[in-house]
Amino acid sequence: MQPLANITPLKPAARAGAIQINGVGQVFRTSGAEVVALADVSMDIKPGRFVVLVGPSGCGKSTLLMMLAGLRQPTSGSILINGAPIAEPDPNRVGVVFQEASLFPWLTAEENVEFPLALRGVVKAERRGKAEEMLKLVGLEGFGKRHPHELSGGMKQRVSIARGLVQDPPVLLMDEPFAALDEQTRMTMGDELLRIWAATGKTVVFVTHSLTEAVYLADEVAVMSARPGRIVDHLQVQLARPRTYEMLSGDAFGTLRERIWRHIRKSA
Amino acid sequence: MKASTLRWLIVIALIALWEALPRFGLIPELFLPALSSTLVAGWNEAAEYRDALGVTLYEVGISMAFACGGGILLGAIVGSLPRPRLLIMPMVSSLYAVPLVILYPVFTVWLGIGSESKIAFAAIYGFLPTMLSTAAGIQTIDPQLLLAARSMGATMSQRLVRVIIPAAIPTVLSGLRVGGALVIVGVVVSEMLISSAGIGYLISRYRTILDSPHVFAGVLLVLAMAIAFNAFIRLLERKAAIWQTGTRGGQIAEEIAPGALQPAT
Repeated sequence: MQPLANITPLKPAARAGAIQINGVGQVFRTSGAEVVALADVSMDIKPGRFVVLVGPSGCGKSTLLMMLAGLRQPTSGSILINGAPIAEPDPNRVGVVFQEASLFPWLTAEENVEFPLALRGVVKAERRGKAEEMLKLVGLEGFGKRHPHELSGGMKQRVSIARGLVQDPPVLLMDEPFAALDEQTRMTMGDELLRIWAATGKTVVFVTHSLTEAVYLADEVAVMSARPGRIVDHLQVQLARPRTYEMLSGDAFGTLRERIWRHIRKSA
Repeated sequence: MKASTLRWLIVIALIALWEALPRFGLIPELFLPALSSTLVAGWNEAAEYRDALGVTLYEVGISMAFACGGGILLGAIVGSLPRPRLLIMPMVSSLYAVPLVILYPVFTVWLGIGSESKIAFAAIYGFLPTMLSTAAGIQTIDPQLLLAARSMGATMSQRLVRVIIPAAIPTVLSGLRVGGALVIVGVVVSEMLISSAGIGYLISRYRTILDSPHVFAGVLLVLAMAIAFNAFIRLLERKAAIWQTGTRGGQIAEEIAPGALQPAT
């Protein structure tokens, strides 16, 4: 009989796009003082879900997103993506879309989308093909040769989404991507994002200030409290898909929105 | 009328006035010799001017390499590291306000009255603005761009080559424009003060014998040099400023080449 120690247990198949946040905390040290930004946050996100993080300003939702992106390490706890810890940015597992102005202004739209591939030394022809495919996915076919300053705010964020998806990561993180857009563009971009999400099946973690946007987009909404940030409510949005503009004035929508608002008002 | 047409008309009018005013005796030839007599004077002593131009260009070239190379290198270091920035920037900024020409006699004592003292003086003169604006260019890079690059897995050197350098280019170029112009000023002025060769020396020598046409022939050459340098920097700026609309650099670029830019949509 073989000694037990030699038998490696079968790993549970790490499903692409699964995110496990286990008791994550984040402490900032600024000039001697310690600030607890996040305290003991845990969350299990199943592959393909659209999860929105909302909370008052400074509740650490962006910090949590930065940790999911591997741009910052948790002070305590752990984060697993695809079943493996994320110690540094890994564009094969996680794509990130930032607020406006994170496109490189000296590159054209397609060069911006190609950027992550260029970093890995992918040959030009392959890069270009992939970029064209992505720009088509986000509805910007034919705009590849334009520079960011020649694109509207909404178009710029479409390019950012294309850039985030170009390496086909199972997870897409979005940090208030539509915050700088006007309301009409914002609504359109929400629908566009849902269309892209449905077409690609990515796990999306989306940070926003807008409660309407949160409920409109999400499968589930995690509500965070003010500093130290923790998750005070985790609600499932049972609204049918595709989401429509009419739902915004429905009772179900209003109830969810109100429930989130009560939490935020309490902690603000 | 288009601004560029108007600009050319003004230049042509000034040239015409330069010829006409002295010719009709409105201004004494000693103060301002006519353009034609200036050109004739220059042509008659062509060999002398050519040699002087050679010396001056040599000095400008070497000083430019020191001023721009050193300015960009040190500016990049100072701009990217907080500690040197705190130590050096206040000193450099206040040094910038000092008329450095007061140091030139000292340089001639150290390095003689040949090209070396001119090169040293002009290089230091042009170095300061280049360094200051390079440091500013690096410091003002949007941190979001660096964060985005990191999120895509860019290494330290990839961030330098693919983000920091391209983002700093417009500011560095505007520093080069000022720094390069100051190099030319530095060389010519130091030649005029204590020297035995170069355009500045010729201007200064002809002035002492009140030979105005020859003085102005030298002035024309310096003018041509400055214009050529400016045109070169503009060429570089135009290449770099395509993405810069909305900023001041972009507006300048639009003035230069309205056709080269596509309308923003």
